[in-house]
Amino acid sequence: MSTNPRDLGRREGAFEREPARRVFAAELRECRYQFRDGEDEKSPTFVLLPTGERCNRIFLVGTLTEKQRQGDQNIFYRGRVVDPSGTFFVMAGSYQPEAMQQIAKIDTPAFVAVIGKPNLYQTPDGAFLVSVRVESITVVDKETRDLWVLDTATRTLDRVEMMAKGTSPDVIKAKEQYPGIDVAVFRKTAYDALAQIKI
Amino acid sequence: MDFSEAAKRISRKFSEKGTDIDPTKIESKLRRLVIEFGVQPSEAERSVTNELAKEFNLPAAGMGGSGKSTSAAEPKKIADVAPGEWVTIEGRIVALSAPASPAIAQSGIIADDSGGIRFVAWAKSNAPAMTMGSWYKIESAVVDEFKGIASLKIHSGTSVKESAADRALIPATVPIINLHTGVGSVRAKVIQEWDATHDRMLQSGLMGDETGTIKFVIWKEAGKDKLAVGSVYNIFYALVDEFNGRLSLNLNTATIMQDDGDIAVSGGDVAVRGAIVHMAPGSGIIKRCPVEGCNRALSRQNYCPVHEIQPKFIYDLRIKGWLDDGEKTHNILLQREVVESLTGITLDAAKEIAENNPLGMDEVFLRMRDAVLGRYIICHGREIDSRILVNTCERLMYESREHTALLNRAGGA
Repeated sequence: MSTNPRDLGRREGAFEREPARRVFAAELRECRYQFRDGEDEKSPTFVLLPTGERCNRIFLVGTLTEKQRQGDQNIFYRGRVVDPSGTFFVMAGSYQPEAMQQIAKIDTPAFVAVIGKPNLYQTPDGAFLVSVRVESITVVDKETRDLWVLDTATRTLDRVEMMAKGTSPDVIKAKEQYPGIDVAVFRKTAYDALAQIKI
Repeated sequence: MDFSEAAKRISRKFSEKGTDIDPTKIESKLRRLVIEFGVQPSEAERSVTNELAKEFNLPAAGMGGSGKSTSAAEPKKIADVAPGEWVTIEGRIVALSAPASPAIAQSGIIADDSGGIRFVAWAKSNAPAMTMGSWYKIESAVVDEFKGIASLKIHSGTSVKESAADRALIPATVPIINLHTGVGSVRAKVIQEWDATHDRMLQSGLMGDETGTIKFVIWKEAGKDKLAVGSVYNIFYALVDEFNGRLSLNLNTATIMQDDGDIAVSGGDVAVRGAIVHMAPGSGIIKRCPVEGCNRALSRQNYCPVHEIQPKFIYDLRIKGWLDDGEKTHNILLQREVVESLTGITLDAAKEIAENNPLGMDEVFLRMRDAVLGRYIICHGREIDSRILVNTCERLMYESREHTALLNRAGGA
């Protein structure tokens, strides 16, 4: 019966957008492993979080403390977005014209919500740097920032707990790639971030 | 071929008649026919049965007690037939539709207890005209696929005989989520009626049951009536079509009976919370085609894909975007009232901005984007083809209870 083509279920939609992961700056800073899923030129690239989740896109809310316009021919903006645990380095270049115009209009400091793609770089002296290529950046209020901290703490704790169970391929890969990291520190990161919100 | 299975089947038929035959003997006969002589398995089963019947002096036909043939052409359940097969089925004509071409003598749906299938009788087949509601035994018809849907072809080699069976047939309805292309019966409630998009269309809309929703359409035809929104119907033998990966029900072939009950159409009702991570082009203030029943979005040059240039367009608001909870991204569509309440920009205000601003409609898009992007919201709506049509949505509020609970969770290491 199962060979009957009429029994096949409904077709899945072909396109699934990559979800935007929630991660604190302190965890994103620790990323050292980036990979491509598939051989195709258009296959998405992922940064593997130490807590065992791949991310192609992230969503973060924090305070834009600094922005800088750079380059002569190819203008781009760099910015620093601060969350309770550390700093995200964000950039928007001429390939993201909308994001560049958005960031150009924002006066620092301001609470901003950023949707972007994380990229891992290695500097000539061997240090790693994770920067976020901005798809979109908008000014938001403090309540949105607080909601993001709750959301990100929840997701971080979920991941820390999943690491303990340790069965998914990405969890196993994270354990291989980050042997020196005890994910319990990210539980503390979450706690400290939550503690900064006044009750 | 599973010889022992077929051998047992034959042996059983004879033992019912009081004659015991060793199944291994039957099996070796079958094996010989199929392997040495390359006979079709079904034909082999038939000839072995006849041979044995002759040997034991039993009538070849009329075995099994119910007047059914014992030959290899034992009717197959309609639900079990697959494209590429030659089959014999016995069923009742439950729908006849007007032939789409002079090459077709008759087309419609034939059904048995297991389900229904579309059929086409070619004009060249010289098959007798079948009448609605009668039972027929159709031997050696071919099942093929047309547009991905199995269909039974009655050709010149097919024999069509009116069958003795004359019983009522009560089709089993299936949950909407389990429908597949072909023929299907559902019990569903009409939940939406849409504007007709075609002159020949009598009615189209959405119906649903506890498991999901599906689009339906009724084409204009003598004797067809519209369905009432909010009523529940038993729909037997509708055509289930697929277009762009979504299923829809064509009710023209169906027998429709109103039902007094009610259905809580819960399928498709969803609530998702997350952050808006993208607002797609085509959001903001848009122009719609004013032609009755069209309502399509116009291009910037007021061009409707069907009705061409429409200078007397109607303004509308909508937001198409992505709502992301960190695990999954949901495609959302907000209609005017929802956009107004979420952005605080009414249609009138948006018109004002669009008409008095150098950037025109783009200015509305930008203001709305700045008002919604990155915000946490909760949307209630209906999920159709992996897009959520949002009925209501609210901004999420910061809850200190949630904060405390999380502090405890993080600190409780």
